[in-house]
Amino acid sequence: MTSVSQTTAQSAQKSTLSSRLSSLGSNQSTILVGVMIILIVVFTVLEPKFFSVATANNVLTDWGSVALIAVGQTFVVISGGIDLSVGATIGLSGVISAWTMANVLGLDQTVKGQDAAVPLLLGTVVSVTVGLLVGLVNAFLINKFKIVPFIATLATMGAALGFSVILSKGAPIGSANDFTLITAMAPNWNPLSWAVLFVAIVIVVLGLFLHKSRFGLYTYAIGSNAFAARAAGINVERHITMIYALSGALAGLAGMYVYIRLGAGSPSSGTGRELDAIAAVVIGGASLMGGVGRIMGTILGALILFTVQSGLIMVGVAPDWKKVVVAVLIAAAVAAQTLQSKNGRK
Amino acid sequence: MRRSIRTIAAVGAMTAFALTLAGCSGAASTDSTDAAAADEITIAFVMGAEADPFFQAMKAGAEDEAAKLGVKLIWQGDPANYSAETQIPIVDAVLAQQPDGLVLIPTDPTALQASVSKAVAAGIPVVNVDTHVEDLSDVVSFITGDNADGGAKAADALATQIGYEDGGTYQVVVGLTSATATTNVSRLDGFTAQIEAEYPGIEIADVAYSESNPEKAATNVNNWLTRFPDLAGIFAIDGTNASGAAAALEAKGLEGTVGLVGYDAYPDNVAKIKSGVFTALVAQDPAAEARLAIQTLVEFIKTGETATEREVVIPNVVLDSSTTDADFAKYTYVATK
Repeated sequence: MTSVSQTTAQSAQKSTLSSRLSSLGSNQSTILVGVMIILIVVFTVLEPKFFSVATANNVLTDWGSVALIAVGQTFVVISGGIDLSVGATIGLSGVISAWTMANVLGLDQTVKGQDAAVPLLLGTVVSVTVGLLVGLVNAFLINKFKIVPFIATLATMGAALGFSVILSKGAPIGSANDFTLITAMAPNWNPLSWAVLFVAIVIVVLGLFLHKSRFGLYTYAIGSNAFAARAAGINVERHITMIYALSGALAGLAGMYVYIRLGAGSPSSGTGRELDAIAAVVIGGASLMGGVGRIMGTILGALILFTVQSGLIMVGVAPDWKKVVVAVLIAAAVAAQTLQSKNGRK
Repeated sequence: MRRSIRTIAAVGAMTAFALTLAGCSGAASTDSTDAAAADEITIAFVMGAEADPFFQAMKAGAEDEAAKLGVKLIWQGDPANYSAETQIPIVDAVLAQQPDGLVLIPTDPTALQASVSKAVAAGIPVVNVDTHVEDLSDVVSFITGDNADGGAKAADALATQIGYEDGGTYQVVVGLTSATATTNVSRLDGFTAQIEAEYPGIEIADVAYSESNPEKAATNVNNWLTRFPDLAGIFAIDGTNASGAAAALEAKGLEGTVGLVGYDAYPDNVAKIKSGVFTALVAQDPAAEARLAIQTLVEFIKTGETATEREVVIPNVVLDSSTTDADFAKYTYVATK
């Protein structure tokens, strides 16, 4: 809102090219798209094969699982919280649904083609339910015992990891996927696959939900000032419960995405993903203090993250340096935004 | 480890509820097998990380042998972290129970030396399995799989699959877990040495880390397939990388086209040898290592000496489409029921 009125004021003063450019620059998404373009150009110069449909498919396939938990994380961060349990929840929900599909629903390598649809659908229900329950545990710890979200979700993260190891004995639970399950990940809509398309639809719906609904408005209100929100009659506890349940359910959905991608549920298949999600949210311009953030920023942030990771492999950066490069880029992205928002306030 | 156990215990009840609803029963692993006689031999077995199927298979072998010889087994180790920091307090706690013998898989040769010296000073004989402490004169025997040899065998299997001929040039890549995992390092050393010696036309074009996440392993392979359109083969250096690489090849319909040699006989990956995704899997025999360790200790405790050599290397085996069903059954990593 402020940036729009500033833009009008500025262009009234002098409608030069530079001022128009700077008004463009004050739009978060435009900056992120610009960063994406620069990255693509740089990687393409260094390795021409980078500019290809295959790379786009690689990046989007990676993006799918993290985009889901990053969108959930966006709701949580805007409300002033954080959810560290989402990575471990990917592992736990993947393991439990894989176990259920293999042992209860009879999904093994003899099940082929369409016959796999029903067990997979039920497996998805199981996976999302497990995630939802982890989210409810988070909310219970936060609301009932007033544990700060960082600690509450750290505890459930440990518990989820522990249980997934106990259940699976560390090994992936799969079915040697002879049932062409993995076609969901094939680039049928090159560079899109069915799975990525599905993720995109889920995200559009959730984006509308955050930015157009009363639920979204309350989320921003709680994150900006929880006391004021409570005074205004918002049931803060119930709202927090719904937000963590949503984040957990999305982690469960991501667990199923990874199951489909790997053909197996493994306790380690979400290892470290909570940090990828938080990085995407922060690159996307959300404030960890709450009250600020956009879904569009988050999904572009996740795209940037995986474009960089793919690009670094493509141009052959030594693996030891990849972490350093990614860390520097995240710091640079956040620093650039901080500087830009200071300039915007002048 | 203690802290994580406490965390798990604190929140366990609530998550257990979640598990029950999902229709699963989380059977906690037992710390010891039941034993009847009071004067029987007690052997403590401290391993690396419970979460690794390698140690699950080792546990099956240890329990089997302990039952056969009528010894009491104290099985301990961190649930998920392979680290000296979490292992040292576990070893100390186990030694406080005054077992008659200790089988130890030291997670660090230097850091665990003191614990072994302490056990020996207390008159508790020690056998090292898989990895060893710095001063081997303290241990009765050191029983291990040969990771460098496994790496060399992987190179042979990959060269056969890509139809290696002198004068040809081939690009292969290696998926690792991290730069520091000791088994990764010796497998890669063995692989590289064998390629340099026998297959000069093969170039190791790149390596990348999965950080123990199979999805990241799949990501690495996806990008390699784009970067190296003529990629001849992949060496996936452990179970995690093997799972991720197999999934990535299947998603692109390249199984069988790009050679894939994996490590560790996870049941799911063994099934994929038959369906043609894996050219070969190099398998260790953790159950045999555990069985020999317990036999050695029991013999040493009873007679004060053992027929087992000071250093025993149990060779890695290559599983491929020519392997018999009996051998598949023998080498697949099976956890205790």
